[in-house]
Formats: sequence, structure tokens, C-alpha cells
Amino acid sequence: MNTTNGQGLSRRDFLRWSGVTAAALAVAACAPASPAPQAGAGDAGAAAPAAATTVLRMQVDPEQEQPVVDMFRQNNPNVDFEFVSVTGIDHEEIAAKILTMVASGQALDLGYAATEATQLYAGQKLAAPIDEWVQRDAEELKEYFTDVHPSLIQAMMWEGSLYQLPIDFNAANMYYNTGVLQEAGVEAPKTDWTKDDFYNIAKATTKKDASGAAQTYGYAWTNRLWGGWMPWIFVNGSNLLQEEEASGGEWLWSGFYADDPAVQGRGGGWRWTAPKANDPANVEALDFLYQIYQEGITPAIELGGGDTLQGFFTTGKLAMTPAGGFWAGSLKNAGMANDSFDVQLMPKWKNQRHQFGTAGQWIFADGKNKEAAWDYMKFRISKDAMMANGMFNPVTLTTPTRRSMLTAERFADTGPANWQVFYATLDDHPDTAPIPAPPISNPMTALFVGYTSRAMNGELTPQAALDGMQKELEDLYARNPDMYTKAS
Amino acid sequence: MSSVASTNKHVGQSKSRSRNPYRLMTENTLSGMARRKALMGYLFLFPTILGILVFTAGPVLFSFVLSLFRWNVFSPPEWIGFVSYQRMVTDSRALTGFWNSFIFVVFAVSLQVLLGLVLAMILQSHMATWLRYTYRTTFLLPMLMSGAATAIVLGYMLHKEFGAVNYYLGRIGIPPIPWLTQPTWAMVSVIMSYLWLSTGFAMILFIGGLTNISNEILDAADVDGARGLTRFWNITLPLVSPTLLFAAVTGVIGGLQVFNLPYIMTRGGPGDSTRTAVMVMYESAFKNMEIGYGSTIAVVLFLVILAVTAGQFGLSKRWVFYQ
Amino acid sequence: MQSTMMPTAPRRSSAAAAGDFLRYRLGMWLLLLVTTVFAIIVVAPFAWTVSTSMRTPMESFSVPPQWIVLNPDWSNYARVFEEIPFFRQILNSFVVTLAVVVGQLFTASLAGYAFARLEFPGRNLLFWLIMATMMIPLQATIIPVFVIISRMGLANTLWSLIIPALPTAFGTFLMRQYFLGVPKDFEEAAVIDGANQFSVFARVYLPLVTPALAVLAMLVFNGMWNDFFRPLIFINDPLLFTIPLGLNDLKGYMATGSISVVLAGVTMSLIPVVIVYIFGQRYLIEGIMMGGVKG
Repeated sequence: MNTTNGQGLSRRDFLRWSGVTAAALAVAACAPASPAPQAGAGDAGAAAPAAATTVLRMQVDPEQEQPVVDMFRQNNPNVDFEFVSVTGIDHEEIAAKILTMVASGQALDLGYAATEATQLYAGQKLAAPIDEWVQRDAEELKEYFTDVHPSLIQAMMWEGSLYQLPIDFNAANMYYNTGVLQEAGVEAPKTDWTKDDFYNIAKATTKKDASGAAQTYGYAWTNRLWGGWMPWIFVNGSNLLQEEEASGGEWLWSGFYADDPAVQGRGGGWRWTAPKANDPANVEALDFLYQIYQEGITPAIELGGGDTLQGFFTTGKLAMTPAGGFWAGSLKNAGMANDSFDVQLMPKWKNQRHQFGTAGQWIFADGKNKEAAWDYMKFRISKDAMMANGMFNPVTLTTPTRRSMLTAERFADTGPANWQVFYATLDDHPDTAPIPAPPISNPMTALFVGYTSRAMNGELTPQAALDGMQKELEDLYARNPDMYTKAS
Repeated sequence: MSSVASTNKHVGQSKSRSRNPYRLMTENTLSGMARRKALMGYLFLFPTILGILVFTAGPVLFSFVLSLFRWNVFSPPEWIGFVSYQRMVTDSRALTGFWNSFIFVVFAVSLQVLLGLVLAMILQSHMATWLRYTYRTTFLLPMLMSGAATAIVLGYMLHKEFGAVNYYLGRIGIPPIPWLTQPTWAMVSVIMSYLWLSTGFAMILFIGGLTNISNEILDAADVDGARGLTRFWNITLPLVSPTLLFAAVTGVIGGLQVFNLPYIMTRGGPGDSTRTAVMVMYESAFKNMEIGYGSTIAVVLFLVILAVTAGQFGLSKRWVFYQ
Repeated sequence: MQSTMMPTAPRRSSAAAAGDFLRYRLGMWLLLLVTTVFAIIVVAPFAWTVSTSMRTPMESFSVPPQWIVLNPDWSNYARVFEEIPFFRQILNSFVVTLAVVVGQLFTASLAGYAFARLEFPGRNLLFWLIMATMMIPLQATIIPVFVIISRMGLANTLWSLIIPALPTAFGTFLMRQYFLGVPKDFEEAAVIDGANQFSVFARVYLPLVTPALAVLAMLVFNGMWNDFFRPLIFINDPLLFTIPLGLNDLKGYMATGSISVVLAGVTMSLIPVVIVYIFGQRYLIEGIMMGGVKG
């Protein structure tokens, strides 16, 4: 089995072993090295940086951002970019990544956050207020502010200061399948339709076959914070949390919206100071949704982002569901003809208040290149940049915050025909507000979604579920006192 | 595990040998041998130990330490001592997490081991080779799917209204089952999906264990009139018990840490019914930004796994039979 | 009923024997039926995945579910390539997985051998320490590991996925069990021949446990190929993503991606694994059968 050669053999063996390992590691080393961090490398070869380049590290979707970056670099060749990509994942998961980066001291310059995280980053002083820059460059920005509804701006404020310039938003409107409604012989909903009209349509479009199995559902929703059943809470004149207005913000409103009646009563940003989960209006709303579930109008409510929901809608098994502008392109991708669906405002109940979420870039307070970051942020919300942004071009993946960008052309290919609804939700209804999202929005959302699911599967009555939710939300708030007051 | 005695024995021997006047003879003395062996031992272990120290032991200690602080990443950590541990004891969500993990592991691991053994035994019996090969390949296939992909695919198939599973159940007259929307059913779905994914591995282990039972023993048992159940209980089972132990130990360790599958399939819902301890830990740390509290849960989970594994090995002396 | 010289089966009447035989055959058929049902249940999700990937999303939810696709729509597969740098990500997955497989074979066989056949002070303690590290969920240590990786300057490189995965407690455990199963006679023969430790390891033991190496290789391949969380945290650049991250991207913003495209991606990412599996299956089975797993 073994020839005797003592040391010599073993040395050779050892070398052979090392050789194998080295070869393996060499294979790994042949792996493509991290591509050049310059976005400029997108075009032919790496752009030779001039002296004193700034590198901006941005959390974006590289593909969508590339056209904007290219445009920016035409006038600012001294700025390079490094992309940090966290796409394809729901806003919740982004936190894990950002958190880890911050924890390990990896500074970014620009982040991208939605309503759910705005107050968290602002309150924790992770994001830098942009008031000074905005006021300094007010002339350039006037045009932007006139094109963007104050509701969206207000959602990006915290305790009197502005932190983000909103780029895209989505309000929950009611999408309906025109074919399904036609088959049921019901008319399409009008702008001022009521909850009862909704119920009638839902009932008429719900079809069961002989054995009682469902063929079409009148209404469905996915259990999450935005959309979900929050729109019903809003139209019933309530909210999950108590609302307050922070002080401050006059500089913004008088500076940019001086003649706009829509800014009346707006202050320095939203405060959600205490829970009121089991407010009778909320219980009434949840009762209503549970009732129509029991009547077979709604399928079992599942968690998640809405994959299955889209499937039903596109295959004509679902009449109505709430969704935002982001659905237009996505339904087209799923194969729906642009006249097979349309959109309308949420029905009126006690009022017709809508909820939305919006998002924009934010500047890391600890970043090293804040000036350059601001320059980029400012550029990004310019009309040209927004038109070129992969979010809106060639397919509209989400709703632009600029009123002027919502045109018939944009939605001609994908639908819906009634696209004006998207911005009408803001313009015609100044009471439209962002989804409640205090700094503790993550655990709050978990509680909201958890108890909702238990109500909708019959485990708890809506009242009991909301009572439980209220209690836990109160505990959560108790663990995080003075979120708003101690911030400044 | 029987190596414990031998280690001590040799160490004892080399100690006494070192006083041997002939210790100056190097190459082939037993003490020289032992010393070189020890050195080789450390050398062989070096890459693994180094790696584990840096990438596992260190971070684990870090977690232990963190559990005594309150840290949300953005502000500096704040010392709070054992407050997190006290909080965990009264936190119904965390306790539910451990309970769910317990339920999951008890059912999933025992079913996994049982199914694996049964399938392996079936594949041992007389059948055409091609058939055996086909079955074996088929049952191993799910191992290739990732937990995430499995969660997505099975999540669709288990949809109450439009999933394939309920459709076929409906054809044989069973009303639609709320697989993912009712608490008990949700746990059943998660366990079933986990079984789908992991039983193949258990089956392979048992095929190995069963094959090693020499046919002579089985034939002798046959001759003695022990057949069927008797033979299984008194002969097969004891001989396959080392494999059972390995399967049970690795099954429990893996089962207590499974994350992707349940997280993507149900996100812990409905309510908290499928929220395992690992999920509670992950969400505390990354969603609620309470890294200290998340670390606390991790520490407790680690201790639980350690205790259970030690218990398994301890108990194993009673029922595991080594040749 | 012990017989010593001539073991004979107990006598039974021919009718009883025939009854036995019938029961045996019936039992066999029943067993086969049950096994086949199981097999179908096991294969169904795969079939559904593949068939849905060839249909448009609109057709995915038709009831009754269609398993055989008459007009396959390959556009979903094309879409996968449009939405993510698929080939690049497959390559990344390959590089990382292969490097880790080779690396773990190296460290696990050395360490497993040390624990099985070498004596040194503290052996048991070290073994249990290493075993204990198997009991930490990945999510608990990800932040400090990321900090270490960043300090090493490896963040956002494929190395960050490879290096921390090189030491393996599970692999060590597995190899140790297999090494324990090799009779000591072999070693003693080699020692008498004067070979030193390393050659005993490399020339005597290692060849005897090649099936174990195959088992470990396949398990590690499987695990690394499907690893999602570590690449999520360590890698920023989509060109460096591994396949699980890429597939996640296909799900789209607020899950607006098309399910058929996602499943097309899943199907394609299964192909390399299946190939490895088909080639390695023989070794896997041999490995399990030869070594068996002893406690």
C-alpha cells in the first residue's frame, strides 16, 4: 500500500495537496473582479477621471439609474458613482442591508427611501435635512415645487425640516376589470361612487359555479400596510394612529406654495403620536371587510406583495382591487390589454380620503460628499432627469410625482384610460395623506398585518383583533417614548 | 464517542514515557510519535480552527455581549445588563416563537426520520433495478430546490382557491383547505413543505445504514422464525440506530435554524402561528432594529440547541447500539 | 426454534404457503402503489414549475391546472435574460460554489481526520466547540462577520462569500464519522512501514473515504448554490450577485414581476444543479452505502 520513502514522499504529497488547493483558489481568483465602480464604464471603456473626483455611493437600481447618471456626468465629469443595489425586495428587507452597512461603518452618500422609512432615518439623524440647500437654490427648485403637490412634500418632512424630494408615489385607487364588470352587467364606478355602490358591484360580479366553488371574486386585497385595508380606514374618516401636525415648515409653504390653498393647515410634517387601532370607525371598516369575505365576495386574504392577486385580476377572476400607478406597467407585462382594466377613486364612505406612499432620495448625514450628493439629488428631480429615469421610461413602473408628467401619452400603451385619477387623488382631495409611518413603522406594520390576518381568518373577531392590536401598539409606543419631541 | 477513553490513555502513557532514559532517541520512540501526532493534529486543524475562530466564534461572542446591550445601530449601544433576558421571558411573541420551533421540530424531524426510514426500507425490498433507481432519483430531487424557491412554488400550489392541491382534493370531494390562512393549517403546510424538501436526505442516510446490515444477520433472523415486525424491531432497528442518531441530531439542529422556507412562505403568519424562534430573532434585529434583543434570542436559541443535542447524545447511550 | 447444524425453515402447509405468497404479492403491489403516489407528490411541484414557466401569467392560474403545455411560450425565458444578468450571475454562483466545495473538502478532511485518528490534548473539547458552532443561526452572526469582511476590504467581492465559508463544522463532523469507520489495521500497517502522519492521511485514509468526499461535495454544492442571505448582505453590485439574489430581483417592485418569469428563472437555475446531481449521484449513493454513518 505504501512505498517507504519517509520524508521525501510526504513532502511531495504535501506539495501536491497545496497545488490542488492553489489551483482551486486560482479558479476562484479568475472570477471576474468587481467591475469598475464607475458608472461611466457603461459606455465604451472607463472614463478617465480628472483630478479630484468625488465618488458618490448611491443606493439605487443601477439599470434604472444609469441614464440619469449619464446625463449628470455630461455636466459633471468629476463625479463618479458606485451603485449599491437592493432592488427587487420589499421595503422591509432593505432595512437589513442598510442596517448592516451602517453598523459596519460603510458610509453611503445617497439613499432611497419611501414613506415607511422616512421618519426612521430622519428621526435617527441618519438622514440630513436639506432645508439650507433648498432655500439656497430656491430659484432652481421653484419649478419643481409647482409641479408637485404639497401632500407629497409634506410626507417627506420631519419636525419642520425637509429631508427628501419625492420622485415617485403611489396612492391606492380602485382598479377594476372592465370585462368582468361588463359580463355582470354593472356600470363602471363613477368618481363619487359610494361604499354601497361598491358593495353592489362587488356582489354582482361575484360568481360561483354549481358546486359553490368560486369563479369570480368581486373584491380582493393583500394584507400589508400600504393598500391592504388601510384605504377603508381612511375613507371611513379614521386612521390607525392619531395624527398631529409638527410645527414649523412655514419657510417651505410660504416660499414655494404661497398662493396654493392646498397648503392651508400644513405645518412641519406628520406626527403619529399614539395608536387608535380599535377606534369604532376602524372596527366598522374591518367588520365590513370581514362580512364581504364571509359572503364569498373576497377570497382568503394572504400575506405578501400581491403576486397571486395579480394573477386573478389578469385572468378575469377578480373584479376589483386597490392598487397604485405602479400596476399600470405591471398589468401590461402580465399580458392585459390596456382597455381590459381601468381605475377609479376609492368609493366614498364618511369621506373620500385616500392614502399614498411616496419616495425619494435622502442624503446620509455622515456622508463625505454632501454637496455633490445634493447636486445630484437636485438634478435627479429635474424634468429631464425624471423623464429619462428607468422608473418612468420606457415603461411607467411607478407614478411620477410631477403632475406634468402624467399625460395621456404615458399611459396610452399600458392603460388605464382613466389615468387622470392618479393625480386627481391629490389635486381634488387635499386631505389625502401618507400611510401612517412613524419611526417605529416596522414593528408597527408587523402588528398591523399580524392582527389583521387573525381577524380575516376568523380566529378573532374584528373587535377583538383591533383591541389586541391596540394593546400591543400601546406597548410599542411605551417602549419608544418621545419619538418626536426628543428628536430635535 | 468512544474515542474519549483512548485519548486519555495515550496522554497518560506519553507522560510516563517522557521520563524514559531513552527519550533521546527521537524518530521512532512512542513519545516522539505522540508529540508529532499532537503537532500534526493541530496542524491539520489549523485552517478550520482559524476560520471558525474568526468567522464564527468571534461573532458568536459578539452576539453574547450584544445581548446585554440595547442597540439600534444608529446610536451607540447602551448597556442594560440582563434586561433583555427578562423581557424575553415575558414576551409572548418570543415565547410563541420558541414554542412554534419546538412544535415544528418535533413533528418535522420525527416525520422526516420516519419517512426516510420507511422509504429506504421500501427501496431495499425486491423490485426491478430500474424501478428502484427511478424511485431513488425521484425522492432525491427535492433536495436540489432552494428553500426560497420551494416556498414560492408550494405557496402557489397550496393557495386555497386556485392552487393545484385544493383542486385535486376537490375532485375527490374534500372542501378547500385553508392551507396558508388558518394557523394550524399554516404550520401543517410549513412542515409538509419542509418534509418535501428534506426527506430525500434522510432516505439516503438510511439506505446507507440499512445496506450495512449484513445479509447474514437478516437471514439468520429469518431462519430463527423472526419475521416482519419482530425482525424489524429486534434486529434492523438496533443495527440502524447509529444512523438514526445522526439523522436525528442533524435534523434537530437544522430544523431549529430553518429560515428561508417558512419566512418566504408565510412570513410567520397568520398572526404568529408559524413564527419560529429564528424568525423572531431576525425580525427583532433587522426589522425592529433591536439588535440587542435579537442577540438575546439568538443566545437562548443556541443554548436550547446545545442542550437538546447534548440530551440526544446522552440518551443515545440507552438506545443506540454500536457494533 | 434454534437449530444448530442444518437450519431449516419451519414447515407449513401448501395452502398456507400459497396464502403467504398471495399476501406477499398483494403487499408488494400495495407498497409499490403507495410509493408511486409519494413519487408523484414529490415530482408535482417540479412539473408545475416547469409548465408554468412556459405559459403566460394569465394562464398560470387556470383551473384545472394544466401540466402539459401544448404551446410553450419561451418568452418568459427570454425575459429572464432581459431583466437580470443571468449568465453572469450563474457564473458567479459557480465560482463561489466550486471554490467553497474544494475549500471545504480540504479543511473538512484534514480536520475530520485529526479528530478521528490523531491524538492531541484538548481534542474532545475542541470537537465539541466546533460542533457547537453548528448551532448558531446564520442571521445572528451576519453583522459581525460583515464588519470583519469589510475591514478586510472584501465587501462586495466574491471573496466575501468564499472565505468565511471555508471552515465547516458540519463537514468536519461528517468526515470524522467516515474516518472513524475505517478499520485501524490500515493505519498500523502504514505506520510499521515508517510513513509519517501526513502520508498516512493522504495515501491511506483519504482514498478510502472518497465516497465521503463525494457526499460532502454534493451537500456543500447544494447549500452554497442556494445561499441567499449572505450574498444579500455582502454584495451590492448586481453583476456580482449570485443566482438566488438574481431570482429575487425577478419578483419585481412590490411583487409586480411575472410569476412565469420567476419560475423560468428558477427552472434555469436548477439545470446546473441537476447536472451535477446526475453525475454525482452514483458517488453519493456509493458513499452512503460504503461508509454508512456511524454515531
